[in-house]
Amino acid sequence: MTVWFPDWPVTAGGFGADVPAAAMSADRVIARTAAAGVEGVVVGQRRRQAQRRCPHIALFDHDPDRDAREFEPVVRAVAEISPRLDVVEPGWISLRALGPSRYFGGDDVLAQRLVEMVVADAATVSSRPGVGIADGRFASSVAARLAVRRGQPVVVGAGESPGFCADLPIGWLQTLGESDPELIELFARLGLRRLGDLAALSAVDVLGRFGHPGVHAHRLAAGADTRPASTTDPAPQRRLDHVLDDPVAQASAVVFVAKQLADQVAESLAADGRVCTRLVVLLESEHGERSERSWYRSAGLTAAAMVERVRWQLDAWINLPRGSDQELTGGIALVRLTPDEVRADDGSQLGLWGGQTEADRRAARAVARLTTLTSQEAVTVPVWRGGRLPADRYEWVPAAMVDLDQRSRAVSRAGTGSGPTGPWPGSLPSPSPATVFADPLPVEVLDEHGVALQVTGRGMVSARPAILRLLAGDHESGWRRGRVRRIIAWAGPWPVEERWWEPERHRRLARFQVVTDDHDGYLVVAEHQRWWISARYD
Amino acid sequence: MELAVDLAALTERVAPVALARERTMPVGDELAGLFAEGGLVRGRTVACQGPAATSTALALVAAAVDAGAWMAVVDLPTIGLDAASELGVPLERIVAVGTGGDPARWVEVVAAAADGFDVLLVSVPAQLHASAVRKLAVRLRQRDVVTIVLGDPGSMTCDGVLDTDVPQWSGLGDGHGHLRERRVAVVASGRRLPGHRRCQLAISA
Repeated sequence: MTVWFPDWPVTAGGFGADVPAAAMSADRVIARTAAAGVEGVVVGQRRRQAQRRCPHIALFDHDPDRDAREFEPVVRAVAEISPRLDVVEPGWISLRALGPSRYFGGDDVLAQRLVEMVVADAATVSSRPGVGIADGRFASSVAARLAVRRGQPVVVGAGESPGFCADLPIGWLQTLGESDPELIELFARLGLRRLGDLAALSAVDVLGRFGHPGVHAHRLAAGADTRPASTTDPAPQRRLDHVLDDPVAQASAVVFVAKQLADQVAESLAADGRVCTRLVVLLESEHGERSERSWYRSAGLTAAAMVERVRWQLDAWINLPRGSDQELTGGIALVRLTPDEVRADDGSQLGLWGGQTEADRRAARAVARLTTLTSQEAVTVPVWRGGRLPADRYEWVPAAMVDLDQRSRAVSRAGTGSGPTGPWPGSLPSPSPATVFADPLPVEVLDEHGVALQVTGRGMVSARPAILRLLAGDHESGWRRGRVRRIIAWAGPWPVEERWWEPERHRRLARFQVVTDDHDGYLVVAEHQRWWISARYD
Repeated sequence: MELAVDLAALTERVAPVALARERTMPVGDELAGLFAEGGLVRGRTVACQGPAATSTALALVAAAVDAGAWMAVVDLPTIGLDAASELGVPLERIVAVGTGGDPARWVEVVAAAADGFDVLLVSVPAQLHASAVRKLAVRLRQRDVVTIVLGDPGSMTCDGVLDTDVPQWSGLGDGHGHLRERRVAVVASGRRLPGHRRCQLAISA
């Protein structure tokens, strides 16, 4: 059975269903509230499109750590019913229904009961979960999603899953992350529009034509999930733990230990051509409190994914409310990773070309090390944002929040200076300045007679700029007049008017390019009759 | 007996010697002429100075990063990513680290970055312990990292210095046009860059 919360990231962000809000990642909507859905905001939209559909929408950045932290009360509530549960991702739990169902007297009663318990125990959670019961993970996950739409639990009886699956559109395989979009698109082009169409084909033919990913999709479509929630103990040699002689209180240090363990686990599994699909993470404090969670991912957990789950679990544990059961009171003394469910690594083999190189792996390790040395905010990578001013065009985002995998990451078109989607209209032509000030430097621009230059509302300058005078100092101690440079060449103004529809963030400014007598090039900006150096061509 | 001696001599002669030339990272055609080895030798530290230092440094590392190397940028939050991209540096392999101006942490960060990155672009803080710098220099050499120092190298010893001359701008007039091209003469000097080689770097659209 599956418990699923629709659009968990916005619920975790603290927005109720009646407030239009959306969680953004890499400038795309990844989750939105029901109210925003009514306005026409859909997952995958860009920030601008979402704001166009719904101008008063609250947009906030997606934070996986927050999602996991806020999800902890729900996990605890569900664990009351069945302790062996898998967290697929924050907002999505799958567990074995057989035992609890017998105990509560039937699937329907269990489903009702579960919803009540979650709503009562996790009072902070504003949305209601969908609960679905069916044979196997895939069918029950679909059922849980349908349950949200119907507003009541969906129970598919034992043995009825093939019939339940047959009528569903084939896109569910992609929605639940079981197959990649290319394969689903191919199925659709071949006229296999429903899961039943795919299931009707012979398994041998599917294997011959589509290989292992095809067989996997075929099995799920036929309602035959080959991955029951196993309850056997794994072979002990795969289990890896690390006892910290000095219990550590810093989360980053624990994560660093977990990273080493995860690398070992992933490496030893990869040596056998296997991948871990379910990982049990056990953390124990010096005072004997334990936190044990099992994490599931159908595509297999890479070392980085394992570390991420340890971080989520640790973060949720640290942020438990005071006085709760198994509250963390000391440093962490033991970290144990157990690959609980392991399968042959079939589909996700890296390609011969364009795979991760040794340099990529080394850099990813170094990024993790640097993050623990400094802080998460201090280690950053550029992400394209777009804009007319050099300082607006890229944003430095903490490296820990970005998937550094080179195959999926595009920041710019190398050699062109334009973003991944092409040039930005209205930005100055290249070459671009090599030094860009996030906080522009104040200057004075004067004409031949030492009078401050003005730019009119129509984009005209009052006189020919002749002198650039730097200002030294800062906001607290006041500005002092500094070095004077004669301007030998200039051009502009190029006006920019940004966000005129938003009174608080409205900007109106004029850009100039200036070369001074010592042959330095500057990008100078006039805004509200004050002048700033926004970038230097050096 | 004689044969054994001959063989010993022979092994010595055929033993693999890593020539500096073989331990290089590629450099674009315009700047390759500055280096006798034809590229950036791994393990060396080069300082870029003068009015076009930043552009020169970016142009210097572009080919290496494009060939798959990763670059860490330490304490240079003002680096112009548009310019880097135009000069051919793929931004996917740039990671920036800030140390908050603490010299002890700076040494730690650069040493850690040397483990995972092939190219470091750094600005050096003013007060560094001489002993820490010596240890760091050994580490950088051992890890085969190319370090580019932007601005004043302070107490860091550099194997070479690339100095840029006054740039010649074209395209910008008196109230018209826009900056279109810049020509800079780059002069190499220093211990490992003998001969004062020079070259012209043209930075244009």
